Amino acid sequence: MHEQWTDQLSDYLDGELPGDEQDALETHLGNCAECTAVLNDLKRVVRQAQSVEARPPHTDLWTGIAARLDGTPRRAVSAVAQFIPRQPRRFAFTLPQLAAAAALLIAVSGGAAWKLAQARMTQASRYANADATGATAARAVDGGKTTPPAAVMVPAADSAGAPDGGRVVAVGLADAQYDAAVADLEKALKDGRGHLDASTVSVVEHNLQIIDLAIDQARQALGADPANSYLNGYLVEARRRKLDLLRRAAALTTETN
Amino acid sequence: MTTTAVIALSGETPIPCGLDDDVALAAQGDSSAFERLYRTHVAKVHSLTRRMLSNQEADEVTQDIFVRTWQKLGQFRGESAFSTWLHRLAVNVVLERRRTFAVQRGRMTDDPTALDQVTVPPPRADVKVDYEQALEQLPPGAREIFVLHDVEGYKHREIAVMLEIATGTSKRQLHRARMLMRRHLGE
Repeated sequence: MHEQWTDQLSDYLDGELPGDEQDALETHLGNCAECTAVLNDLKRVVRQAQSVEARPPHTDLWTGIAARLDGTPRRAVSAVAQFIPRQPRRFAFTLPQLAAAAALLIAVSGGAAWKLAQARMTQASRYANADATGATAARAVDGGKTTPPAAVMVPAADSAGAPDGGRVVAVGLADAQYDAAVADLEKALKDGRGHLDASTVSVVEHNLQIIDLAIDQARQALGADPANSYLNGYLVEARRRKLDLLRRAAALTTETN
Repeated sequence: MTTTAVIALSGETPIPCGLDDDVALAAQGDSSAFERLYRTHVAKVHSLTRRMLSNQEADEVTQDIFVRTWQKLGQFRGESAFSTWLHRLAVNVVLERRRTFAVQRGRMTDDPTALDQVTVPPPRADVKVDYEQALEQLPPGAREIFVLHDVEGYKHREIAVMLEIATGTSKRQLHRARMLMRRHLGE
């Protein structure tokens, strides 16, 4: 007999009952002690749920977790700790400084990308009759557009001299993995630089120096203010840009082989 | 005249500085910092898995969640608090676990009588039932909706997306879970 009303009590509690039904229910509650008691019980249930405390596990799970982290690249504690100051300092940039840094990074990346694109167009016309394998490689080189924000696609280390150059692996921005990917790409670029136009090599190297400078400065700033989310994001972006530039340059040497 | 505005970057952190340090360090591969994050958050993560799954599965799934967190920390952008990001990741791992073992199959139903068939022993006046024990006695489908909505604070529309059910189903299951909890707790 009361079920038609009690079935509405949770929606009523959560404020999700339509206006007319809410009015009807409130009229009923005014005359029904039984339904009012159920409503009060449900309020207590919800209140308890909202205040129930979190309890840790009975056993320490860290040992098992730590054992499973071994296979994942990570950086030595000491190598990171040296960037953490004893006395955190306030770190500030002026707006013009920030704007100049952002503009520089954009200009560097844009200029390098334009130069590489120009070089690739030349190569494309030279190899207009390239076979399907070559086309696959070109798609792989452009794969970065669909890459998730925190990962970039790089040619596998052993693909630098391979004609298809198509095998790509996902690389995160954690230091060990990132450093390994950068080392692989730098080696590929070094090995293949003879296949690139001298002016292209010059532009790439010049821009890599500027990005490295930006990375160093961001790291120094993080040393003074390690919790700063803007600086962390800036560093990640600078590192991503370096990897992207290297990837494009290394891929270009592969295409020209 | 040039106007120079100084931006104090150190004022942007939404969560306590010490914890933010550990997030940044752990993202760079520092397992000691990651252990500190584990110790800060394990109670909440373990409670979520215990309530959504079972005591037996909670330890293993909690470990899975922290290993996954370690692997994905590089993707954490700081757009939300780390605790929020971790919590959502934990919910996803729990739901994946349920899907993997197909324990969800047949429990998420629009049949309004499904929960009526669950037998609930009458409460004993001499036994005070622990809230978590009462939770464990809920049928799984209703239990996870109750935990997600009333304990964790998700909305019905969010739960509907996560569990791939209708919003109405989520509402019905929640109400029946609350009614069962009322009986379990001897209200």
